[in-house]
Amino acid sequence: MNISILLDFALKGLEMSAPIAFAALGAVFSEKSGVINIALEGFMIVTAFTVVWGSIAFQSIWMGLLFALIAGILMSLIHAVATITFRVDQIVSGVAINILAIGVGRFLSQRIFAQETQSAINPYLFPTFHGINSFAFALIPIAFISWFVLYKTVFGLRLRTVGENPEAADTLGINVYLLRYAGVMISGVMCGFAAATLYPSRWINGMTGGRGFIALAAMIFGRWHPIGALFAAMLFGYADTFRIMFETKIPIPSQFVQMLPYVLAIVVLAGMVGKAHAPAADGKPYEMGEE
Amino acid sequence: MTLLDMREITKVYPGVRANDNVSFSLNQGEVHALVGENGAGKTTLMKILYGLQKPDSGMICLKGKAISIKNPRDAINHGIGMVHQHFMLVPPFTVLENIILGKETHRAGVLRMEEPAKEAEKIMQKNGLIVDLNERVEDIPVGLQQRVEILKILYRGAEILVFDEPTAVLTPQEVDELFKTLKKMKKQGKGIIFISHKLDEVLAIADRITVIRRGKVVKTLKCEEATKPLIAELMVGKPVFMEVEKKPSSPGKVILRIKNLSRTSERGHKVLTDINLTVREGEIYGIAGVEGNGQSELVQAIAEHVKLESGEILIEEENILDWDVRTRRENGMGHIPEDRHKYGLLLPFTLADNLVLGQHHRPPFVKGFQIVDTPEIRKFARATIQSYDIRVPSELTPANALSGGNQQKAIVAREMRFEPKLLLAAQPTRGVDVGATEFIYKQLTTARDKGKAVLLVSADLDEILTLSDRIGVIFKGKIIKEFTQAEATREEIGLYMTGEQESA
Amino acid sequence: MLKLKIDKYRLYELLSPIIGFLAAIIVLLIIVIVVGESPAKAVSAVFKFTMSTTARLATVFSIAIPLFFAGLAVALAFRAGVFNIGAEGQYFIGGLVGAMAGIYLRLPAFIHIPVVVLFSMIGGALWALIPAILKVTKGIHEVITTIMFNNIALALVNYLVNEPLSGRGTSSLEAQTHEIRKTALFGKLNNLFRAIGWNVPDHVYLDYSLIVAILMGILVWFLLFRMRYGFEIRSVGTSLDVSHYAGIRVKHIQIGAFLISGALAGLVGSQEIFAIRGFYTFEIASGLGFEGIAIALIGRNSPLGVVFSAILFAFLKQAGYGLQLYTSVPNAVIYVITGLMIIFIVVINEIMTRYIRALRKKEAG
Repeated sequence: MNISILLDFALKGLEMSAPIAFAALGAVFSEKSGVINIALEGFMIVTAFTVVWGSIAFQSIWMGLLFALIAGILMSLIHAVATITFRVDQIVSGVAINILAIGVGRFLSQRIFAQETQSAINPYLFPTFHGINSFAFALIPIAFISWFVLYKTVFGLRLRTVGENPEAADTLGINVYLLRYAGVMISGVMCGFAAATLYPSRWINGMTGGRGFIALAAMIFGRWHPIGALFAAMLFGYADTFRIMFETKIPIPSQFVQMLPYVLAIVVLAGMVGKAHAPAADGKPYEMGEE
Repeated sequence: MTLLDMREITKVYPGVRANDNVSFSLNQGEVHALVGENGAGKTTLMKILYGLQKPDSGMICLKGKAISIKNPRDAINHGIGMVHQHFMLVPPFTVLENIILGKETHRAGVLRMEEPAKEAEKIMQKNGLIVDLNERVEDIPVGLQQRVEILKILYRGAEILVFDEPTAVLTPQEVDELFKTLKKMKKQGKGIIFISHKLDEVLAIADRITVIRRGKVVKTLKCEEATKPLIAELMVGKPVFMEVEKKPSSPGKVILRIKNLSRTSERGHKVLTDINLTVREGEIYGIAGVEGNGQSELVQAIAEHVKLESGEILIEEENILDWDVRTRRENGMGHIPEDRHKYGLLLPFTLADNLVLGQHHRPPFVKGFQIVDTPEIRKFARATIQSYDIRVPSELTPANALSGGNQQKAIVAREMRFEPKLLLAAQPTRGVDVGATEFIYKQLTTARDKGKAVLLVSADLDEILTLSDRIGVIFKGKIIKEFTQAEATREEIGLYMTGEQESA
Repeated sequence: MLKLKIDKYRLYELLSPIIGFLAAIIVLLIIVIVVGESPAKAVSAVFKFTMSTTARLATVFSIAIPLFFAGLAVALAFRAGVFNIGAEGQYFIGGLVGAMAGIYLRLPAFIHIPVVVLFSMIGGALWALIPAILKVTKGIHEVITTIMFNNIALALVNYLVNEPLSGRGTSSLEAQTHEIRKTALFGKLNNLFRAIGWNVPDHVYLDYSLIVAILMGILVWFLLFRMRYGFEIRSVGTSLDVSHYAGIRVKHIQIGAFLISGALAGLVGSQEIFAIRGFYTFEIASGLGFEGIAIALIGRNSPLGVVFSAILFAFLKQAGYGLQLYTSVPNAVIYVITGLMIIFIVVINEIMTRYIRALRKKEAG
């Protein structure tokens, strides 16, 4: 195999991994703070739309990114209000937001682009590097910053505390709600980044293709650790790239190659020991003191 | 000088007045003990002091100035610290991380660990509380975890320290160490509130003692004027030893036999070592011990299908290790579990459903094709409610509408109604009122008289002494001594319980 | 006296779905106004498309049938504390297995139809088996595994229908199987309805799947509330610990409930496959598994509740098309409303619970 194909594969794979990895990093922040977030898929549907819309409206991809971040935060706020303030079941809230997001994407597309299933083409993109979206390279520093924030800062220490033992945090005067809001909102921000790497040239209904869910698997597979999640997401991203690039050259039907990352995820999860790595209070609503 | 003055605090929960006009004060350099039965209102009062609960009325003064404590942060800022009964630690974090949590040293948000480590070392030296700062909390024993809790408070510069049942989880040596630390802190002029229901400890450490019962302060005593019987009587409102009419026992054949049972916890600690005991027909075998010495693990090994390191459990000389819970129950095992809310009742289900739970799969409660016979269940439930005096409007009332005492009665009724050969009773009267306690005592002795084998586990030594025909003392996962009722004395059992008397 | 109070609290609890629904409708009207339509026109559009004629109303019921299966499947799993997000994959596989039985088995109709129903259920249950086993033995959350299995199922049926099982004729462009034998096709009940005076036109599908749905609803109700196994399912869903202590074989129950849920999910596609299309394709309606979650939640996981919420969802779907057709409000608005409605219901439920708690406290004080 020659070098240029290898390089192509490496870069293409990074681009394919980026949306999954960003979402997985978001999931890490959310779950480290104790909130399960299966609404990532929904967040991404909306951020993927707003990145296109913002770019076209303001003729700049940076404005598109800004809009995607804002949309991500707004979506995450719904989840945060429902699950933290009202202590609604986190999975139920996530399911509802995923349904809501499908409607929001299609509704906005219909209103703005007069088509429910796709937007106009967005010509304002990040510069390309060897044919890939250069924003994908932001993934690596952002993953390391995530690790630094979680493990080396006051904020990170406290965020992990509310995910492990919110009661202890409460007795130390740490505001559990505030930190959980922050955790969930960072997952919204990450989905904004994810959108910027997920074909910002046009929004198409269904374009997220379950990446939000794959990101969750990546987070678990990566043992709730930002770097682990990054590598797990890359596993999925590269598997997909492999399929796209070499589909025609290998004798297996493409559908089986398509299944590969999911089967891989199941096998890996089944091989992992227990769920010892999940934050102890993950998924458990917490009621602070008394009103 | 008066450090703290809580005046006329009232707090109402659904169904109970947890604190009713409670006044409590604390001086500098003083240990003030707060004693009372479970549910008397001690913990509520302290939660109010710590800002975890808001009082319905009353005021709190600190050094003569009225203050308001809305949340723990306020409490910490006012120099109040608390060692909670259930430790407020983050197990996967290091000791140092746990100590600094909430009062971190940082530069632009980035954690700095060197200065806090030095500071923590200083506090450790000064108070004789030595722990390795770099260990993970989940890897250190409970006694050290408590030190971490104390260090956390001292690191915040607390003037007032609240200890909620601190000795419940400690070995006697650790208790001694703790008391040394308390005395050191007292000398430094700190005020200490010591919550306990262990009277010996209270008498050993306290300068003043406030007794609280059913949400009200009964009396505040100086240490000199306090005696054990006096405090005990104030606590329960009548002489402590509950009178239970009991015929002499006439034990028959061995029902439960445990041979060389050893068990290791999931984390690899040895929790039970070489346990040997037998319980016969018509006797109550009581297990006495300080909580956390392996009692829960022992009961679990008998009742559930768990992995053991070695040993055998036999019922009527048949090895039951391979039996799951259902098989064990079907072969005559009844179990009153330790934590009734967690393990006892299906709270949203009707009382009738709860009364047949565990036997619901057998006739007469199911008929052909596994169909539930509702009329039969209701009939059975009505009869049970009547004979066990469960106070409830109807058998269709959901279990969560029952009072704590009635819930416990329902569990006892359920486990007794099926005439088990062996009854496991773990902390059967914890948190229930005196009336229900008396009722449960009567049921347990009746069971014995009917020829059942009863294994009673209780942290309440008086309960053990009142009910048991034989007593085994458990310490660090070993039965270190057995007594018959005749030879058992409080004092001697107490010595074994605390490990001061080693096994012969 | 006490009894009366309990009833009052019950009432508050029942109010939350109604208030949630009304709140969602208000949001809908606001959107209508923002879009620049008159609410009256929107209401009339919805009415016209859902209830104005027998055909419209019957269509709502027809659409409700697959939704009911999806809701029932998720509800039963919920009852045992299992979150079956995999109904999606289960009905793609279940439908294919059922269709295979319909294509390759030669049986008289009175046996063939029950057989394809059974095969659909077995297919659905099989697709739930591995997530069920992974949940109870390895503690891997079923939400993750079933999502993976949904994706695997889609790829798998895509392959099977394109390659080994392809029956693509010259007339169709779409990948599909061979035609299902006539003996396995679901007939319509329209004549039956006509006989009792309800004139359902021929283009509306009220077919044998309705009978299957009613049957399954009754069976699930009977299982949950009249059988020992159902008692144990509800017990496990209420408290794992209590059930374990009571000797209930918790793992068996969870696996069993998961499989039954998968079996019910296997029927979601049956109307489309056996009554409408007459062959299997991976183009059958997707996304019903996720809607099933919402339907189960709003129906409070009871078979009767799921009947009502399935009809409600069918109504909403049709309302969306009505709006699309007669006004400038896009159909997508229905997803927005559905999502919001679920959030409203659970949030209001929580507010009610807090309110009840406060009331109880007051009474106690």
